[in-house]
Amino acid sequence: MDKIKNNSLVKKIGLNRVLLVCVVIVMYIAFAILSPSFLSYKRILDTLNYMYFLGFLALGVTFVIATGGIDFSIGPVMFCCALVSGYSLTNYGVPMPLALIMSILVGGAFGVFNGYMVAYWSVPPFIISMASMNIAKGVASVFTKTQSVSWPRSDAANGWYRNLVKVGNFPVGLVIFLAVAVVCAIILNKTKIGRYILCLGSNREAVRLSGVNIKKWEMLSYIICGLLVGVAAIFYVACYTTVQPGYGDQYNNEAIAGCVMGGTSMAGGLASISGTVIGVLIIALLQQGILALGLNKNYQLIITGIIVIVAVYFDVLGRRRKN
Amino acid sequence: MGEVILTMKDIDKSFPGVHALDHVQFELRKGEVHALMGENGAGKSTLMKVLTGIYTKDSGTITYEGREVEFHNAKEAQDAGVVIVHQELNMLNHLTVAQNIFIGREPKKGFGIDDKKMREDSAALFKRLNIDIDPAATMGDLTVGKQQMCEIAKAISHDAKVIVFDEPSAALTEAEIEELFKIIRDLRRQQIGIIYISHRMDEIKVITDRVTVMRDGSYVGTLITEECTKNDIVNMMVGRVIYEDPKTASLVPKDAPVVLKVENLNAGRMVQNVSFELHKGEILGFSGLMGAGRTETARAIFGADKKESGDIYVNGEKVTINSPQDAVKHGIGYLSEDRKRYGIVVQKSISENTTLACLEEYMNGLFIDKKREDETAQKFVDSLATKTPGVDQLVVNLSGGNQQKVVIAKWLCKNSDILIFDEPTRGIDVGAKNEIYKLMNQLAAEGKSIIMISSEMTEILRMSDRIIVMCEGKITGEIAIEDATQENIMNLATRDIG
Amino acid sequence: MEKSTAKKKSILAGTSGQLLVVVLVIIALVIFFYANSTNFRKYTTLVSILDYSYYIVLMSIGVTFPLITGGVDLSIGTGLICYSLVGGYLISFCNFPVWAGMLVSVLFGTAIGCLNGVVVAIMGIPPFLTTLCTCMITRGLGAIIVGGFGISWPTAKAPGGWFRSIFKITLESNRKVPIGIVWIILIVILMSYVLNHTKVGRYTISIGSNKEAARLSGVNVKAYHILAYAISGFFAGLASIAYSAIFATVQPGTGAGFELEAIGGAIIGGVSASGGVGTIVGSMLGVFVICLLKTGLPFIGLQANWQQIITGIVLIVAVLVDVIKKRRGIE
Repeated sequence: MDKIKNNSLVKKIGLNRVLLVCVVIVMYIAFAILSPSFLSYKRILDTLNYMYFLGFLALGVTFVIATGGIDFSIGPVMFCCALVSGYSLTNYGVPMPLALIMSILVGGAFGVFNGYMVAYWSVPPFIISMASMNIAKGVASVFTKTQSVSWPRSDAANGWYRNLVKVGNFPVGLVIFLAVAVVCAIILNKTKIGRYILCLGSNREAVRLSGVNIKKWEMLSYIICGLLVGVAAIFYVACYTTVQPGYGDQYNNEAIAGCVMGGTSMAGGLASISGTVIGVLIIALLQQGILALGLNKNYQLIITGIIVIVAVYFDVLGRRRKN
Repeated sequence: MGEVILTMKDIDKSFPGVHALDHVQFELRKGEVHALMGENGAGKSTLMKVLTGIYTKDSGTITYEGREVEFHNAKEAQDAGVVIVHQELNMLNHLTVAQNIFIGREPKKGFGIDDKKMREDSAALFKRLNIDIDPAATMGDLTVGKQQMCEIAKAISHDAKVIVFDEPSAALTEAEIEELFKIIRDLRRQQIGIIYISHRMDEIKVITDRVTVMRDGSYVGTLITEECTKNDIVNMMVGRVIYEDPKTASLVPKDAPVVLKVENLNAGRMVQNVSFELHKGEILGFSGLMGAGRTETARAIFGADKKESGDIYVNGEKVTINSPQDAVKHGIGYLSEDRKRYGIVVQKSISENTTLACLEEYMNGLFIDKKREDETAQKFVDSLATKTPGVDQLVVNLSGGNQQKVVIAKWLCKNSDILIFDEPTRGIDVGAKNEIYKLMNQLAAEGKSIIMISSEMTEILRMSDRIIVMCEGKITGEIAIEDATQENIMNLATRDIG
Repeated sequence: MEKSTAKKKSILAGTSGQLLVVVLVIIALVIFFYANSTNFRKYTTLVSILDYSYYIVLMSIGVTFPLITGGVDLSIGTGLICYSLVGGYLISFCNFPVWAGMLVSVLFGTAIGCLNGVVVAIMGIPPFLTTLCTCMITRGLGAIIVGGFGISWPTAKAPGGWFRSIFKITLESNRKVPIGIVWIILIVILMSYVLNHTKVGRYTISIGSNKEAARLSGVNVKAYHILAYAISGFFAGLASIAYSAIFATVQPGTGAGFELEAIGGAIIGGVSASGGVGTIVGSMLGVFVICLLKTGLPFIGLQANWQQIITGIVLIVAVLVDVIKKRRGIE
């Protein structure tokens, strides 16, 4: 074990991430043995479909968790984005490009609201998450008069937006998702935004006493999260077409699970975009595996819940050992 | 004074790198108030922590009520009748006074707690101590002084035979101190032994029977209060050690311009009407005892805490400082006494910490110019002689002295002209200390102006061009380095009988 | 000095003041709805407001304990559905007597509460995250145990339907008497006693006020921390019975959002989001505010969905009041 730890390549990539990749491979092989259909290309595409929207949610919430905060309104907010823009598209004749932008803006608006309340009014993040979750559900229901909304199919007029996910059998979505992930990694590691977000998550008082406007940067992390939630909504409907008001809670947990598995610390200050990407891949594999085994999504809820607690416990143990 | 109740003999205690207690002696009699005095860091608190079982002694014996004892935790000591009234209050603000006094040992009544009995017992206790507090009042509603009284009452309710007061009067008003003394005299009459830690010379004279003085972890001597003068005690506290090269004259030119002027600064009880000037190239020492309001003054100037009133002038111009952002903009840098909490981001690298205050200058369009950032960090690592394998090293892995250098680098990188060093060498070993001193001298010679808050007398005398002494939130005097002696500083730092 | 004492007093002793405000809000809401809707004036409306309030009030009494410790319990909403499903399943498919099904519901709730407590107090995982996970776990668990279908507890006329009359008695004249409010008031009195006059309550407050001070005074902080969550779970179990008694069927997958009404009610009623402060009566009254809005808004022509938005906003306002009070306290 020590030998592996000291291997220079492993060191460079990080032991955590190497282990995660191993988990992905083991899971894939295990599911393939249990259910041969798992090897099909379609199943791979299905897995990716689940990974896209979840991935954008997880990327977004990574920024918030990096500050030491939390946002578990992301699932319902994503549905709110998809419903509000989708309803405008189908019932008010808003053109498609505008609808897509609208989705992102709705997410951004929630981000501004959450961030403002947390950073400038010191409302605890979990309270604001709870409130936003319900406001998002309420807004979506009121806006759509409690109807579900179906986005255009790929052969319908306006169906071009689905090319964002898939052209023919080529997973364009994966390219876009990875590109966004790279941008996120750059923002987090190479720009002032990321620097301040990580530093304030690690020691907010020291950053404040260095003359940095921490409120601004903390709020910005929620805004980035909100915008990415809006993007997630687009990919959700491009894969699954129909959205119903009142749902979306379970994705909170799955996105947060992806983050914490990937090595982002709930205490703030430590975040890894590549870890988050592999983390959501594991969650997506899990979802597909559970389906392939003929079980329903309820098992996914339970397993994800346990994963989060275990992953965070490791983080807590690691920090306890350091002190 | 009655018979001896407590004897501590040859108590020895070491921490990694520090010999905290060096064969210390202490004796307490029944019905005696025994003062324990010494500069900050002399070992008073450590000795009391050894007594109450919070620390384990390395060697030596403690004899209590004729038996040799060793308490393993505060609760054991408490059960045996040795209690400590802490300086910082340990109160549950949301509960009532009576509930606080009986927390953890509530009297039962059926399934519930007998709150009535608790209130009555508390009332009886207060009556015995002549304290006027309503046991049903909420703790958080009381003044700090009253809370202190409750803490004392709580200690006494444990059937204490020995009570340690750790700077009990620090937060009290004149009237409250009078009340406290009345209680202490009552306790003395009840043959309880009292250890009284305080910096206030006048109190020592008024309330105590004997004084034991400690210095640098060693026992200096015990005096009978009535027979000694304030100067005797001060002389014992500061000792007669000759220090390395104390500054003998100010290095600041007479005509050096004033870079920072503070006028009538007020911020709470700890900063009252503070006014002073800082000259270019000067190291201005802020001396005083713990809790004199020096850190609070620094934080108020820096905008870290709210101030009530007062004007600040930088280079002759009046400036508004409401947040650290404003202060940094005007070229002020603050190096906190608590580096880990307020100075550095420990989980980040040296580079990242170095540029924390001036990241704008290392931007290449949208991106951080990592190469230039590392170069700058390396430059400071070289010039400050920071010991590290590289600038990517996480700050958490550095020693205290090197962490301090990273914080200095942060402010130098921002090109701050006014630096506030709050206890610059706390927790730093001797070798690194000298390096920090050299650095500060060098900075001053280069034209930076430094405010140095320090509780170490040697440090003040060695570094300062001029010394300001604070006591209880007020500036009590200013001494030119030529005239400064340990005695006259200590005289200003401890409150006089008047 | 006198002045600062007075100022401090108004901050901490503000609980009774807040209760008064909540009562006034309730009165104002009743008057408002009464004046604007004839339907609101009916006796049946009163009965239905109470019906819908029981389970929320019970949850909010329970969640007041973790909130006072400075934590939170988000698992009570989906938990309630889970416990109700399991109890109902045992009654309908395993021939359990109704009382046994009720007992299982309550025990199941208590068990999940204990689990939350252990994870929070011993493993040191943040409460909101822990209970967010158990929220999802109970949601999945309930659905899996009953096989994904809705479960009906016995109807009022069926054998075993007696349990519904715990909360509502139908007289011979077909007039319904909301007897449940009597039990609720008794429970509120009992739990107020527990919170204010027993070690359980005292130490719950102590944990929220100054955990370290409580520990140093010899209080077994971990045990009482777990207990706070166990109480929350126990009351979620009780709430599941109230829910089963009011609604015809229980659907798996629902329940998310109930916790907001309960927690929101508690915070409106004066529980501080940062712990240490709170009353049971306040939590109950806070829930009534939410239930009045929920039931009343449709009467004045506002869609029921607005209620979710309004609940969210009311929660934020209540927390802001708390935050502002505290900021004043610092200055």
